[in-house]
Amino acid sequence: MIELKDAVKAYKNGVKALNGVNLTIHQGEFVYIIGPTGSGKSTLIKLLDGEEIPSKGSVIVAGINVGKLKHSKVPIYRRNIGVVFQDYRLLERKTVFENIAYALEVIDAPKNIIRRRVREVMNLVGLDDKGNAFPSELSGGQQQRVAIARAIANKPKVLIADEPTGNLDPTKSDEIMVLLEKINREENTTILMVTHDEALVNKHQKRTIVLESGVIVADTFQGGYFKHD
Amino acid sequence: MINRFLRHIKEGFYGVGRHSAMSVSSASAVTITLLLISIFLVVTSNLEKITSKIENSVKISVIVSYDFEAQEDLDRIDSQIKNIAGVKLVTFSDKEMEFDFYINSFPEEERVIFEPYRSENPMHHAFYVEVNEGSMLQEIASKISAIEGVEKTNYGGESSTMLVNALATTRQGGFILVIALSLLAIYLVQNTIKLTIFARSNEIWIMRNVGAKNGYIRAPFVVEGIIIGMLGAIIPILTTIFAYIYLYNKLGGKLLSGIFVLIPPHPFVLYISCILLAVGIGVGFIGSFFSVTKYLRWKR
Repeated sequence: MIELKDAVKAYKNGVKALNGVNLTIHQGEFVYIIGPTGSGKSTLIKLLDGEEIPSKGSVIVAGINVGKLKHSKVPIYRRNIGVVFQDYRLLERKTVFENIAYALEVIDAPKNIIRRRVREVMNLVGLDDKGNAFPSELSGGQQQRVAIARAIANKPKVLIADEPTGNLDPTKSDEIMVLLEKINREENTTILMVTHDEALVNKHQKRTIVLESGVIVADTFQGGYFKHD
Repeated sequence: MINRFLRHIKEGFYGVGRHSAMSVSSASAVTITLLLISIFLVVTSNLEKITSKIENSVKISVIVSYDFEAQEDLDRIDSQIKNIAGVKLVTFSDKEMEFDFYINSFPEEERVIFEPYRSENPMHHAFYVEVNEGSMLQEIASKISAIEGVEKTNYGGESSTMLVNALATTRQGGFILVIALSLLAIYLVQNTIKLTIFARSNEIWIMRNVGAKNGYIRAPFVVEGIIIGMLGAIIPILTTIFAYIYLYNKLGGKLLSGIFVLIPPHPFVLYISCILLAVGIGVGFIGSFFSVTKYLRWKR
């Protein structure tokens, strides 16, 4: 599903954010990416969703060489990738239903399919009764659920969650984690979750990749938070 | 498809409303540009009409030498003139007709002074030549002068050439001014759209993330630019229509004397209005298209 071969990303200012990363993630896997600030986690996400291209090596997602994609083909490619961020990024003047539907409207999905799929994902994230609510009327945990629902609305093959629990208390974080596991299980979506939450990684143990100074320093299938000294 | 189209239109209007002050300032730039374009078009169109009327009404008068007054010479000269490309009509006027024409240009009581000269008519036989294109006057006149038996040719060419040159200069100067103002208007529209882009950056971010095509993201901004262009065209169009009709009626459709006949308002003002609207839309379209394309290209 995801394959990085000797991927290097050097920015114009000379910063080498990734330095020869080799990584294979299979369809349906749930993987944590952990590492300190500046270790290259954000760059890895940008390479995966096509926002940046590798300076050397290759990034292949769902059989597509992302670095070789033409500018005009990037939007179509992105339909394979769902992204969720720490700050939700919802449209304040749209309701929960409209926020989720928006993701399908902009890719020209037919109206009946939009209605059906939005109800489906609202049920999946446990917000069946919040369709008419505005984001400002929801708690942080609920807003993150809406963001997740929007990210998976068009059934992406990969869901990238960048610190999805960063703004939430441990109970809400745990609920989001359970939700992501459910999506991983029920929709067979490959999930990459970038996190700093040690307790969460230890509690829901999964494959964990540790990045430091742009290289993978550990890749453990046993799981658990890993501190590199 | 229709829903999508309506959504872009709605978003375009939202954008104009969201930055009403900036929208008004860009629309004002479009207004000033279009007012100048309007004046430029009205003036040059009328000048062109006047010039072509003068050019087309000018005839070349061909004076036949005294030594070539025999009928066969006159027939030869007539056919040689007719063979020149661009000649429309050749009329012969013998020396008696020329004499009458000359003395008729004086008041009746003075004409008697010239009568004694009729027996020894000093006038020449003449041909009057009409040409297809006013601009060919000079060329045809010089070809006729080369014909054997032609003493000289006359045409009011110099004044009409001057008018044509003046028109060309006006047109060039006006054209440069209009281009410069259009660029300024495009620049201002571009900046207004940039503000809307920043205001909607979150929405654009979401659209990009869920895989909206660039065309989809671009559409509402382009609509907004077109709306600004159209708003900017309202005042120039109304001014053109009312001011031209008013001036036309006030001047009785003529300028200075009967030679300068103005173009009737209908459908002239309608054509000018359509041009102004098209330029307004064009300026708005180009400005917004540049702005959003630059933003989308910058972000992958």
